[in-house]
This record gives sequence, structure tokens and C-alpha cells, in this order.
Amino acid sequence: MTTFSEKRNIKLALVVDDSVMQCKVLSVLLKEEGYRVFTANDGARGVAMYVKYKPDLVLMDINMPIMNGYEAARKIKGLSHEHSLCPLIFITSMDTDQAFIESIDAGGDGILVRPFSPNVFKAKIKSIQRISDLYGQVKTLQQAQQKDAELAEQLMSGVIEARNFSRDRIGIIRQAAELFSGDIQLTALAPNGDVNVMLGDFTGHGLRSSIGAIPLAETFRAMTKKGFSLLEIITQINHQLYDLLPADLFLGAGFVSISTHNASMYGFNAGLPDGYLFSELGDIKYRLSSTHPPLGVLPKLLPDSQLTVVSIAETDRMILISDGIVEARNEQGEMFEFERFEKTAKQGVLEGSVCKVMQKTVNQFCKDMPQEDDISLIDIPCGGWEQLLIGSHDFENIPDQLLGDTCINTRPAWHWQLSLSGKRLGLLNPIPMAMSQINEIEGHADHWQSLYTVLTELFMNSLDHGVLGLSSDLKASAEGFAEYFKEREERLRKLEDGFVELQLSHHLVPNGGRVIIKIKDSGQGFDIKNYYKNRVVDSSQKLKFSGRGIDLVEQLCDSLDYQENGTVVEASYVWTS
Amino acid sequence: MSVKKQVSDNGENIEISIDGRFDFSLHQHFRDSYANCKEKGQVFTINLATASYMDSSALGMILLLKDHAESHSGKVVIVKPSESVNKILEIAQFHRLLTIER
Repeated sequence: MTTFSEKRNIKLALVVDDSVMQCKVLSVLLKEEGYRVFTANDGARGVAMYVKYKPDLVLMDINMPIMNGYEAARKIKGLSHEHSLCPLIFITSMDTDQAFIESIDAGGDGILVRPFSPNVFKAKIKSIQRISDLYGQVKTLQQAQQKDAELAEQLMSGVIEARNFSRDRIGIIRQAAELFSGDIQLTALAPNGDVNVMLGDFTGHGLRSSIGAIPLAETFRAMTKKGFSLLEIITQINHQLYDLLPADLFLGAGFVSISTHNASMYGFNAGLPDGYLFSELGDIKYRLSSTHPPLGVLPKLLPDSQLTVVSIAETDRMILISDGIVEARNEQGEMFEFERFEKTAKQGVLEGSVCKVMQKTVNQFCKDMPQEDDISLIDIPCGGWEQLLIGSHDFENIPDQLLGDTCINTRPAWHWQLSLSGKRLGLLNPIPMAMSQINEIEGHADHWQSLYTVLTELFMNSLDHGVLGLSSDLKASAEGFAEYFKEREERLRKLEDGFVELQLSHHLVPNGGRVIIKIKDSGQGFDIKNYYKNRVVDSSQKLKFSGRGIDLVEQLCDSLDYQENGTVVEASYVWTS
Repeated sequence: MSVKKQVSDNGENIEISIDGRFDFSLHQHFRDSYANCKEKGQVFTINLATASYMDSSALGMILLLKDHAESHSGKVVIVKPSESVNKILEIAQFHRLLTIER
């Protein structure tokens, strides 16, 4: 369907010449070519006729009273709409270089020097009309393309931005150099309450650079939702982009996971400028520097890839940027650079609005300079992410007696188990698998969120303290926590034997059910008595980096029981519909 | 802005020098400079001494050259990046992928 160029069967021509005789001669020739012709005898009148009739072709004499041909041509070219090239030909008897040059300078598309034969004239008209038609076609195509691109962009930002988590609290600047941004900003909530954030910058900008965005967004969201760890998500995204994209198209990306539960930020920077952790006073507490080539370059992440762990305070802010901000140029060709960025970010943190302050400052700096690259920033508050978890105690409408009897006397509605040992235990995270089973059998529901937390805490305890033999004493301080995390990665990598066995049994009761979780590990056993003893002593301390896991599980479950010298843990989680 | 190519007498070393801004506008020239070099074991040296700026599409072009070189058992070396260009290579951690001589 042609939306823009209305096809008129009869083309209109305007002849501007002070000689009535000339006008007549040209009119006859044009009519023979199928044109309807209007005439004007001076430049000013010619311009007025042009405005009135919007012709498809203008023939212009040069020497005329009131307004000469050059001036009239300039006026007409200034009026003609961008999308319709109205070809203008000068007709003159001045056979000089000067006349030719001035004609083209004035906006003429050609010049015909008298005397000429009717056939030469008609040939010239045909050739100029051909160019004009081509111009029209290009313009139509360009408009169609623009429309398609706008639609695609709308869909894309619908898929990407609209599904972001907490758009009200996480500030995002997204200023594309072209219609399509090669930058992508994603935020998603993990089942354990961690907030995962990614800022990506695909090579180049425009449509070509945004084709990887949709699969990337899907992977990031789906894996976060299923509870995969940040490094697992990054590994998968890298692999996916390597498979999908050509060699020269890749993704510089910064990843951050804010864990309120661990009072930590986990970060990974693959090819983006430094990310910044700011205190509430705007001081830089940490720089998240790039430690890995962009994603999609290598088939696998480099073997020493690991997340950085940084302790955070609730009032801190983590900021990720793409190179568009620091490389933005002003009229003098200077770049915005890191120094200005840091100063502006500090001001933004103090004023409580990093995005607004940054955007204003960068735009003031660049003034009217065209934007060369996509500009983006994500500003993530480190606190305020505590969630309301639904625990067993909230379900008091199921009589204990009924629950107990059900579990002892009947077969479970279903039973699921998985035993992982050796290297596979070091590589695989069974919790997303367990959750995906539950979601498949029982459907998605909010109370499974809490079960996820219970499973994660208990499994991590068995793996860390049981199989890997890590002492939680390490987690006593903020620095120790990072140390603990590093040691854990190291031991996981070297894991050769040891096992964790995970069992889930689901018993149904009217209006709800009970999930029995049983986890057995190959470790020395968890000393629960000692744990309770120490907890009484510790409770006076304000900030604890360990032991919160068990507290949480206790809150969420209606029973928690350690057996076989602490190598087996059994917990019961109750839900109602 | 230009791409200059120099081949050593024995044909084993190809030096590609970039002048000015190293960005997408050099795409075709850069590709042309090595597309016909298909002998085994050639060393491609990208000389960035006079490159004033480099963007991510330039990084992409270098990766394409790396693919080309490696498919002919050759290699790519980047030499003399300026401070600002080196910063970009550093952010992209390109020293983990190929040799960079300052």
C-alpha cells in the first residue's frame, strides 16, 4: 500500500519567463509530453505560482524583471518539501561557464542553453523526470523504513524496558544516538530477593547493534527468575552471544547483584568503563573495573573469571555506565571524561537524583553537538530490597493434627530427589532444577518464593560447611565475607569427591500442603547445639554476616531438625492456597 | 583518517597503520588491507601510533582480523597505542586476547 505518494495522473509544470512567446513555445512542448502547464512572467510571480500549484517541474528563465531566475530558484528550493524534489531547469541563451555554475549554485537541477531542438528539450525533461522519480522512490522507501524502525523500536523497548524490575527505584538513563540503541539496561528480581542488574553496550549503534538484545533480555530474566547465580547467567549469556552474533559484534557488559541478605554486592565487568559504588556522601567506595573481554568474543568465559564481592551499606548506590557518557564531546572536541563524570555523579548522589543531574550536565556540556554514541547509566540503590516472605506460621488455619497425620500415613503426592557428587556438585546448582520441577507440577505461586529461600539456605549450608568444610567464622567481618567467597570458589573448582543429596516430598491437605525437605551431605556434620549457644552471645551485635540463613529458615518453616550428627537436615514448609 | 599497509620483503609481516579516528568509517579499507593476505603463518601488526581514537566497532574489526589471521595459522599484534586508545583496549581487556606492545 502506498501511503505517502499519491499518484497524480497528470503532471504539472510551471514555466517562468518574461517572454510570452517563449512561454508559449515551451508550453506546447510540455503539453506534448503530457504536462498541464502554468506560466508566470517574472520571478516573484513564479514563486507565488509555485506555492499555489506545487508543480512537478519548473522551467526558469534567468534574466527577468522584479525577481531574477536565480533568486526565484533559491526561494522555490527553500520552500519545496524535503520529501518531494521538484526539479528545476534553467532555460537561457547565456552559454557561459558562469551561468552554468550560478544556476547549479542557486539550486537548479540542470540547464538548457538556447537554441535547442524540440527533441533535445523533450529528452532533457525525460531525464530530469527520471531523477525526480528515483528521488521520490528513495524518499518513500526511507519513510517506510523509518516507520518500520519506529515500530520495531517500540516493540523492543516494550519487551526490554517494560519488563524491568523496580523501574521506580532503579534510575535509568537511556539516550540513543540513533533510533535504536545499542545499549541495553536490564533489571530483574531473583527468587531469594537479590536484585540483578545488567548494563550492556553492543558494538556500534543502530538496528544492527540491537538484534542481540531480545535473546539477551530473555536469558537474563529467565535465569534470574529461576534462581541461577550471577556467574551462571553471565556464562550462559556469553555462550549464547558467541553462538548468535558475528565475530565483530559483541557486548560490553556490567553485571551487579545486590544481596540484602548478605549485605553484599556481587559484580562483574566485561568491557565497560568502571562501575562505581558511592556512599551516601558521594564518596567512591569501590570501582568495578573491567576484568574480562566483552561477552560474545570468546566461546567460554576465561577460566579465572569470578565475581567481585563488596560489602555494601543500605545507603550506598551502585552506578553502571557505558562509554557514551565519558566519550560525549563538546563543541571544542573535548570529551566529558571520568573526572567530570565522577564530580557530576557525586553531586547527583548528594541531591538524590543521579540520573537527572547527569543528564542535565552532559547535555549542557555537549550543547548542540550531535550525539555520537548511545548514552546510558543505571543507578541502583543498595538498600530497601527486603521482601515480605510468606512463612509457615502464617498458615494457622490448617490443624496441626491433620498435617502430622497426613505426612506419616499417606504417600506423598510426589517425591523428587537429586544426588550430586564430585565435579558435578561443583558445577551445577540443583536449586533452579528443583524449583522448575515444583513450578511444573504445581504451577507458579508466591509461596514457592519462600520455599526457594529455604532450599537455597539449606543447600548452601550443606555444600559450604558440610562438603567444602568452610568455617563461617570467616564471615565475621565484611572483608572476611569477600575472603570467604573467594575461598569457596577455589574449593568448588577443585572439588573431586563429596556429595549432596536433595529430597523433596509434597503432601497435600485440603487447602494447601506440606513440603518436606531433606538434605544429606558428605561433610563432618553441622553442630547445631554450638550454633544455638553462640547465637545467644552474638545477638547483641548489630551486623552479622553469618547465621542469618538458619534464622531465616526457622522463620519460614514450621519445623527444622538436624539428624545424624548434623549431616542430615529436615525441614517442613507448609503452604495454603 | 586512513589505513596504510606495508608488507615486509619476505611477505611474512604485514603492518597496518591507522591514522586519526579508528572507527566504522574505516571498515572497508581495513578489511581490504588484509583480505588478500592468505599465506600461512603471517604476522599482522596493527600500528596505532597515530590513531587518535578508537571505538567499539574498531575492536570488532580487530577481532575479524584476528579470526582471519588465526584461520591461516597467523597472529595479530597491536603496537604503540596512545594513552587514550590503550585505555579503550584495557577496558575491553584485549591483552587477554592478543599481544599488545606499548
